[in-house]
Amino acid sequence: MSTKTCPNCGNHCPENDRFCGQCGTRMDDVPVSPAGGVGKTMFFSGVQPAGLAKLVLVKADTGDGLAYQLSGTEHVVGRSEGAILFPDDPLLSPRHANFFYRDSKLLVGDEGSTNGVFIRIHSPARLESGAAFLVGEQLLQIEALAPDFGPQPDAEGTYFYASPKRASKMRLIQRLRGGDIGLIVRARGDSITLGREGNDVNFPDDPFISGRHAELSIGPDGVFTIVDQGSKNGTFIRIVGETQLNHGDYVFVGQQLFRVEIT
Amino acid sequence: MITCSRCGKENQDLYKFCLGCGAKLQPAAAPAAKPAALPDAYPATPPPELAAAAMTTAPPSPETFAAVAQAFVPAAAPALVPDFAPPVAPTPPPSAPASVPSVQIGIGSVPMQVPTRPNAANSPVAGIRPMTAVPATGMPMASALQPAHAPFSAPVVETVACPHCGKPVAAAFAFCGGCGHRMKAAPGAVGEAAIQRADAVAPTPARMGPRGHLTLIRPDGTEGGVFPLQEGPSVVGRGKAVLFDSDPYLSPEHVEFVLTEKGLEVRDRRSLNGVFVRITDEETLASGDSFRIGQELLRFDAINPITPLDDGTEIIGTPNPGYWGRLSVVVGRDLDGPAFPLFEEKARLGRERGDILFPEDGYVSGAHCELSIRDGRVFIKDLGSSNGTFLRVRESRSVPSGSLMLMGQQLFRVAFK
Repeated sequence: MSTKTCPNCGNHCPENDRFCGQCGTRMDDVPVSPAGGVGKTMFFSGVQPAGLAKLVLVKADTGDGLAYQLSGTEHVVGRSEGAILFPDDPLLSPRHANFFYRDSKLLVGDEGSTNGVFIRIHSPARLESGAAFLVGEQLLQIEALAPDFGPQPDAEGTYFYASPKRASKMRLIQRLRGGDIGLIVRARGDSITLGREGNDVNFPDDPFISGRHAELSIGPDGVFTIVDQGSKNGTFIRIVGETQLNHGDYVFVGQQLFRVEIT
Repeated sequence: MITCSRCGKENQDLYKFCLGCGAKLQPAAAPAAKPAALPDAYPATPPPELAAAAMTTAPPSPETFAAVAQAFVPAAAPALVPDFAPPVAPTPPPSAPASVPSVQIGIGSVPMQVPTRPNAANSPVAGIRPMTAVPATGMPMASALQPAHAPFSAPVVETVACPHCGKPVAAAFAFCGGCGHRMKAAPGAVGEAAIQRADAVAPTPARMGPRGHLTLIRPDGTEGGVFPLQEGPSVVGRGKAVLFDSDPYLSPEHVEFVLTEKGLEVRDRRSLNGVFVRITDEETLASGDSFRIGQELLRFDAINPITPLDDGTEIIGTPNPGYWGRLSVVVGRDLDGPAFPLFEEKARLGRERGDILFPEDGYVSGAHCELSIRDGRVFIKDLGSSNGTFLRVRESRSVPSGSLMLMGQQLFRVAFK
């Protein structure tokens, strides 16, 4: 069945409805989306009622771009489904993230996207083993390493020949676009510093990373703490499920960076 | 000092057999002049028993045994190169007289010693052959000597290539000095037991098909034993021969060598750790290939092109700055340690110089090997390293005679003809 998407709240309405069943917005002029087809980027007009919050699209070259008023209750961002669409962003899932209100708070939830939702951290944040985060252009993953119990023979009693290794509690993995692994670094101590130069791990060719950018450390429970070292562009961690947003927060979905403004 | 009547080498007085050619030495003086430095365990008389006594009282471990054997035939052993350089073809001793045979070769006598070795009963024949092989020309017993023969005095003698290992052997020799292969049918004068033994060791002496052997190279560069390769397939693994039994990194059926007229093919029998051949030329590297330098086990993986998922989404990540591959240090089964992206045209590996360094591995040379990409193909070549670069055999490959290969944690040289 073909539907049309409410330009205000993103609700999918039957194609013959004249008003949005969720928010009451008039929908006479809204084009019908082909069934399961590609959506269309919607723009909010100034006549729409001011919401509690808005998302400001931050462009690397031109600064602030479009502002999206979050005047409904749910505002789905995606490549082809939802109210806020970026059809040309291949890093967005068709339905990627949802900005919604609950108890007068703005939250963002991951709608089961492939690539996740990243928010900038203001204070030391916890990371579970295997969690991903962004510094500059780098998508990195941190993993706790199991204690080494020494070589174990296989079922035939043969031991595996491997390179000599040093004990290490954690390793850092660089994830390339497309999913491949680029770099793996094993930490020798309990922490790893990241940046452009002078750190344990350096990315000298990344123009978006600061000289000293972030530090990771592992706790006795195998859970990591990540601290931004006052970097220019910030450190983003991938959210699990949903998380509350505050004024001034930055959210990365796909290639889109939003600043949250709550009035 | 005793000058060998056959090859002219000067030997210490206490030697019973020439260090250069293995011929029995005529004592320079009466037996009473034998130095007192001989170990007490050695019987004073009869002198010809001395070597046999040394053989039978030697510790039974293959290494020691082989070491004893080597001590008697240093000139006959192929050149030992501690840095595992590709071996040169075995050459006869430089001086021509070295090959002059002596009548005092004890045909068949030494193999008789073998069953008396404490561990011989449990050892497959293939495993003990290497140990008996080398001393064969130099360990006669007096009882086996043929008094009717007179010593040769000719300075030059013809040699024939050993059909088993290819070493030139004096035409008059009954056994190859390199591998112990019986060179000719046992003379009728030799005892019946010796003939039986010969049958047991070389069941097909008349067949002249391709023959070869694996020689264990110990970490110090010395040779530690030989495993013969007959025509057709030979499966090597832990439990197949004493040479392999002490290596827990060998699978029970590790690798199969198939020797034919066309050459030698090495087939990995899906072993846990694989077989690695030292590369002598630049070779292509496929994604997933493993190689060893020093103590490091490394794996090359290509970087896959970006392909969107079914719903059209591409997986997020760091923009690829031009990586064409990744080199991973394998630190355990299904466990990668550090991994290094490969970019630009070449990546050099070494201990001190290069793009990817292993500063803590003393077996990696300063500049060891190089990976490169040309026209979309990836290559690996050794940069003249001391210990070599060994590429894992994917499923099978043909190797030339003289190749060095790593199986488990041991290094072998293969030779055939």
